[in-house]
Amino acid sequence: MTGKFVSVLRGLIFIVIALALCGVIFQFAGYSALGMFHSVAEGAFFRPGAWQQSLRWALPLFITAAGVGISFRAGYFNIGAQGQFYLGAICAAFMAEWLNGAPAFVVIPACFAAGMTGGALWALWPGLLRLQSGTDEVITTLMGNFLAGLLLVYVTAGPLKDPSGSGQQASSRPLAAAYRISDSLGLSPTIIVIAALVAVAMWLLVNRTAFGVLASLAGRNPTMVQWQGATVWRLGLSSFLISGALAGLAGTIEFMGPNGRLAGGFLPTHGFTAILIALVANLSVVGTAFVSVFFGGLASAALYLPIMAGLPSAAIEIINAAIALFITAKSGFVDRLLAIGRRSA
Amino acid sequence: MDNPALECRDVTVAYGSVMALSGVGIAFEQGKIHAVVGQNGAGKTTFARVAAGLVRPAAGELRINGQQVKTGKVKDARAAGVELVHQSFALPPSFTVAEAMEFGSDRGAAIFTRSALQKRWAPHLKSLDVNVDPKRRVRDLPVETQQGIEIARALVADARVLILDEPTAVLSPSGIEMLFERVRKLRDRGVTVILILHKIREVLAIADTVSVLRGGRLVDGPVACAEIGAKRLAEMIVGPAVARTLAPGDADAATGRGAPAAHTANHHTPADAGLVLDMRGVSTQSDAEGPALRDLSLTIKAGEIVGIAGVEGNGQRTLVRAIADLVDAMHGTLAVGGVDVTAAPLARRRAAGLRIIPFERNTEGLSLSSSLWENWSARELLQSRLLSAINPARLKKRCDEALQAWSVHYATTGQQAGSLSGGNAQKVILAREVDADAKLIIAAQPTRGLDIGATAFVWQSLREARDRGCGVLLISSDLDELFDISDRVVVMLSGEVAGTFSAPYRIGAVGAAMTGVSQ
Repeated sequence: MTGKFVSVLRGLIFIVIALALCGVIFQFAGYSALGMFHSVAEGAFFRPGAWQQSLRWALPLFITAAGVGISFRAGYFNIGAQGQFYLGAICAAFMAEWLNGAPAFVVIPACFAAGMTGGALWALWPGLLRLQSGTDEVITTLMGNFLAGLLLVYVTAGPLKDPSGSGQQASSRPLAAAYRISDSLGLSPTIIVIAALVAVAMWLLVNRTAFGVLASLAGRNPTMVQWQGATVWRLGLSSFLISGALAGLAGTIEFMGPNGRLAGGFLPTHGFTAILIALVANLSVVGTAFVSVFFGGLASAALYLPIMAGLPSAAIEIINAAIALFITAKSGFVDRLLAIGRRSA
Repeated sequence: MDNPALECRDVTVAYGSVMALSGVGIAFEQGKIHAVVGQNGAGKTTFARVAAGLVRPAAGELRINGQQVKTGKVKDARAAGVELVHQSFALPPSFTVAEAMEFGSDRGAAIFTRSALQKRWAPHLKSLDVNVDPKRRVRDLPVETQQGIEIARALVADARVLILDEPTAVLSPSGIEMLFERVRKLRDRGVTVILILHKIREVLAIADTVSVLRGGRLVDGPVACAEIGAKRLAEMIVGPAVARTLAPGDADAATGRGAPAAHTANHHTPADAGLVLDMRGVSTQSDAEGPALRDLSLTIKAGEIVGIAGVEGNGQRTLVRAIADLVDAMHGTLAVGGVDVTAAPLARRRAAGLRIIPFERNTEGLSLSSSLWENWSARELLQSRLLSAINPARLKKRCDEALQAWSVHYATTGQQAGSLSGGNAQKVILAREVDADAKLIIAAQPTRGLDIGATAFVWQSLREARDRGCGVLLISSDLDELFDISDRVVVMLSGEVAGTFSAPYRIGAVGAAMTGVSQ
């Protein structure tokens, strides 16, 4: 337990260091650092209605990040969450278009099934390439992101194009109100229940099944589980599929909930923020939930900053980037910090 | 003694809270062969690394030829003529053998072609009986071949003091004889040779003087070998307290004291016991890890320990991987515990009673960055369905019980496997693999790197498993170990069975079979 606590603390250390760094940068750029932090905190959590906004961003991010955590645990660096998220949204949109007119209790589950399948398929081919011929999944999933982005542009400008669109941005026809799972504020009981179900299912999978223990062993040392008689490809491919399906689920939620339609290039950083969340949370499911709320808060503050504080919303991207920088440097950096602490203690 | 070739004064080295060497003062006379002995963890390797400038001691000084040398500087030690051949893993993995040889010879920045390098170094390697294609990359070679290249590499440099860290561990009996011959020739040329050894028999066969380390302290030395008996030396190595607790045969095997011929069968396998391993005519293809198995047949009865002897790289690893279904068998049949598993994956072979203590404890045996309980429960978890529910608290509790029953020293079951010492790590593997349902236990180099206490523990566990009716396949490069606990020894050469021997063993005959020399 203490070990887990320490690892969460470690994650927090990065955020603190990253925020301090951003403060320095903003101070030099002529803004008040303290004022910025104040506005971020207000925009994320303290202004009226801020919590709803933060959760609206946090829940889909959590779902994608939980999936990312599964594949990272198993030792596969699936950074294709963004593409899998898009594929989920695209497949759900096609299903909604195809079943348009059918009753909601048919259409909504069908869209979820289509979205999760789409996301899983977009993780399947990099998984197969990796496990069959050792192709580096970092490269394939990254390429998959670009392909999915282009596919999204194509379907919104082609097969699913809204003929009455303004032409500024290609997008699909709005989803009929009966099929929406939330209004455009984006927080509804349905979404909360889905996120809660994902949280419980993933926690059980990681902590209470043989799969969880074996995948984590395989992630740290595949040779050892092979000598124990595991079929490594089964563990690996399931991790790929689960992470893809969850990203697809988040894409479906964004399409059927707050967005209500597909737009070319919508939410372009969703998948990458989710990767960041999984890393800050050290791949723990409970940690991912908390860290998602923090990043959801940042996302919500990003919309608030320009209006209320006269700050560019890119400030949030700088904060995200700074956190990413420290997280990727984490092993060496913090271990050294902690070692210094021990020596002086 | 004026101007000793190498002298340490009051050298102390600490790794964290562990004292690797404490106050060691020792001087080696010029132009002699000196042995430094001690069990694993006694500080032999640390001593060698201090002498070669790889480790900077916390206190003490180092003199070479009477000149004080700055400690902790490889360059200075080299310039003074000290060369160290490491136990393993010091060659650049991506180099070819020929490149590694050239790299060690410090010839400067001339331009070479690969084939020129190969032509230059092939004879040198051959003359040292290192049988390797100079075109192959170091990383593709077994550790043992790499060490052979290391020895060849240091013998190229103009060394005045040559330190060999456990050079005999990987050689066949005749290879050892050849190495000793070479060492004697070097001595006759005036080179001072310091051999780190752990076998008394070898010390007495080659060295002029012997020094004994135990627990980081110098017990005695250098003492002229002519003045000391094997029995006294054995006691100095293990310490009088441990010497009393070891079974007589184990003490001899652990210190390499006993004449191998003295081993006699002390166990009789019932003649009608069933076969737990029945391997018939198995052939594989060769790969990076070793030669192909060629039409290999091997049987093990319940309640029998069969030892596999052989120079490393003669198919022992392939044999284990063939039994574990980690290499494809081209022909032949395989049955474990009476169940035909020729076409079965490892999971089903394990279900039939196969257990494996693999060669590489830290990669194949354990996941070092995972917790003890995860490592311990892996085998069991793989025998149920992937999505079956587990209760971590109960697994941890059972792991606690199992590890305590195997007297593993650890703090909690949540600690990383990498935090354990070699002996304790091996006990975790034993606790996992030697269970009540085991029918055939493959123990591949199970005592490598362990101290005498842990080694005796492993041997005792294997004997107990045999007495319960398990069959054991023991692969070892240590003939004393094989002779001490095997009921039968099979020699492998180039992927084939080159001979089968039973007690009393004749080391000459076994050695001849290992090298393919017919007697």
